[in-house]
Amino acid sequence: MRKKGFWQGLYQNLASPKLTVVIFLVLAAASVVGTLLPQGQDLVHLQRHYGPRAFWFITTFGLHDLYHTGWFRLLLLILCANLIICTVERLPKTLKIFRHHEEDVDPEKLLRCSLNCRFTSAFPRGVTEARLNSIISQGFGDLQRLDTVDHLALVAEKGRWSPFMVYVVHASVLLVLLGALVGSIFGFKGVMNILEGEATNEVMLEDSDKGLSLPFQVRCDRFEVSYYDNGMPREFRSDLTLTQGGQEVLKRELRVNDPLTYEGVTFYQASYGTILKDADVELTDRESGAVRRLKIPFREWTDIPGTKDKVQILRFSPDFQGLGPAIGVLILREGHEPIGSWILMDKEFHGNVVATYRVKVIGSQVAQYTGLQVRRDPGVWLVWLGFAAIIVGIGLIYYVSHRRLWVWAEEDTGSETTTVIIAGRTNRSEISFEQDFKRLCDRLRAELTEEGGSGTK
Amino acid sequence: MITSSILLAITTFAYLLCALLYLSGAIFRRRAIMFWGSVTGAVTLALQLVAMILRWWESYRMGYGHAPLSNLYESLVFAAWAIMFIYLVMEYRTKERALGVFPALFAFLAMAYASFSTGMNSKIQPLLPALKSNWLIAHVVTCFIGYAAFAVSFGISILYIAKESKQGTVDGSNSLLPDLRRLDELNYQMVLFGFLWLSLGIITGSVWADLAWGAYWSWDPKETWSLITWLIYAALLHARAMKGWRGGRVAWLSVIGFGCVLFTYFGVNFLLGGLHSYANMK
Repeated sequence: MRKKGFWQGLYQNLASPKLTVVIFLVLAAASVVGTLLPQGQDLVHLQRHYGPRAFWFITTFGLHDLYHTGWFRLLLLILCANLIICTVERLPKTLKIFRHHEEDVDPEKLLRCSLNCRFTSAFPRGVTEARLNSIISQGFGDLQRLDTVDHLALVAEKGRWSPFMVYVVHASVLLVLLGALVGSIFGFKGVMNILEGEATNEVMLEDSDKGLSLPFQVRCDRFEVSYYDNGMPREFRSDLTLTQGGQEVLKRELRVNDPLTYEGVTFYQASYGTILKDADVELTDRESGAVRRLKIPFREWTDIPGTKDKVQILRFSPDFQGLGPAIGVLILREGHEPIGSWILMDKEFHGNVVATYRVKVIGSQVAQYTGLQVRRDPGVWLVWLGFAAIIVGIGLIYYVSHRRLWVWAEEDTGSETTTVIIAGRTNRSEISFEQDFKRLCDRLRAELTEEGGSGTK
Repeated sequence: MITSSILLAITTFAYLLCALLYLSGAIFRRRAIMFWGSVTGAVTLALQLVAMILRWWESYRMGYGHAPLSNLYESLVFAAWAIMFIYLVMEYRTKERALGVFPALFAFLAMAYASFSTGMNSKIQPLLPALKSNWLIAHVVTCFIGYAAFAVSFGISILYIAKESKQGTVDGSNSLLPDLRRLDELNYQMVLFGFLWLSLGIITGSVWADLAWGAYWSWDPKETWSLITWLIYAALLHARAMKGWRGGRVAWLSVIGFGCVLFTYFGVNFLLGGLHSYANMK
């Protein structure tokens, strides 16, 4: 019994439109936090910047990666549940109204409507009906005559479909979220840095340490930046060639805003840069005075001949703090922690000393690379479809309201006049409907009643 | 030689005149003065359109050739135009003139900020590669029509709140204003209209981001703030369907929503940075 009560309570809460408003506001507040605290900062940086308490708070609630936390996703899930349950609760009622066709019009009911008018037409029933038809059809839709015997019952309706547009929008929001889910499960996102003249099929994935191999190779034949007269960059362009099994399958230029898709994988011109391939370095042992020249490949430990020491170029900066190109050199001596320092490649600075060595860069091979964003997203079409339907739905909600008009008329016994009762109702923009209704009634009175002037006494 | 900058300078003062006319009309309760406010507004709108087209043409003469929608200055000019345009269409359709003070004032303030702020770069500059796309026009125009509608709604909300607080007192300075129920409905329609265009703005931005960066959503501060704005107005539209939320509370939500619009527009650029950082002053 208690269990049922819980589930019923949960269901009722999830069906409540109040919950919708609350979730919107909570999502908004959470998103504000996510913009005030820069996202994606690493923990070391966080720990240094914020006190231990704030650090505990941030990491416990995942505020540094807020949009990917479980609780944020839970909020989205509750929103979806709320959307679905509200639809389940209300759609049958909307369908019932949609399917409902009146068989007769009750004059008493019409007079109880908040918008109604009653007047006596100076014409017999046939003429009255014809005039009602011609006037009402301008703006309220065609009048339909119901099958009645002794009196006249007419119904006009516009925007019959408009009550469904809310469901269209809600379903589209779900579709967009579904598309995002499909994309995150079955797709991938990553980057490829390709040196000019080289080819690769390795993608560095964005949200994992692992790489991914494409079934084809991407070669960058050329990368070029062009500039405007004032020095602003005009265009970044990579000339790419895609090869599969040694065969050239596609050759194209890639620019910003102009991606390239091949076999469901899309490439975007995202960045560029210069990397060091290797450097020729002269190492002078300050203790023994021995001078050794060697070629050190980038990011590879290299033995220093005649010693047990190793050297590595860990970093490369094309322009280190405005002083020109520099390399970050690490020296590893047996039994010691590695010691590193930036060494300027063109100039000498503080003796260029790392550990016990004096380092001098004699030559270097640098290469330009193009940075491509690489993506596969099988869910993106669902997102586009959802977007389109959201716009159509909201647009129709704005422009079309469901307006209904009922007319009852009966010829007065023993005279040539006809009593007419009209009532109207709408689901949105009531005031403009009220005005239209008033105008309609005024016009009908003017053209159909004796006071209107057209009739004769 | 008439240049776009001369025309835009005239526009700035013409909007001030327009705002003053609407204000005097409200203070002296004279519809005739307000009528001249509308006339001034409509003429200024036409003049400003000419100025924007001229600026577009000038950018082609300089060899850059892009729509005048590419930096803070140009977006402020367009914002002023959009606010006045939307307001005047509403005025024409509803025949309510007494709501013109705020839109005219906002249009003037936007133009004044664009023209007189030190450090505002009003030069025509070439486009960065990321901005070179036809989506630029679609994205900026849709966003700013949305923002403009929210600005008009903000004006209506302020009037609503002011009028509601004076209800029951003898003070009749609001007598030219429509009654509360009508203000509420105008407000709702304006918010719904703005919501439609903000949605379009977010969606065009999203499609464009997908094309340029390969991600239709990346929680960039500007994106996120536009979503926050969208959520607030979505809350407003849903709240209105609940009992007891019409009127005052909706007006307050619209005020908060417009605060979010302002933060999305200015706050993010100046305080948060991100992918839209090219939209800054320099």
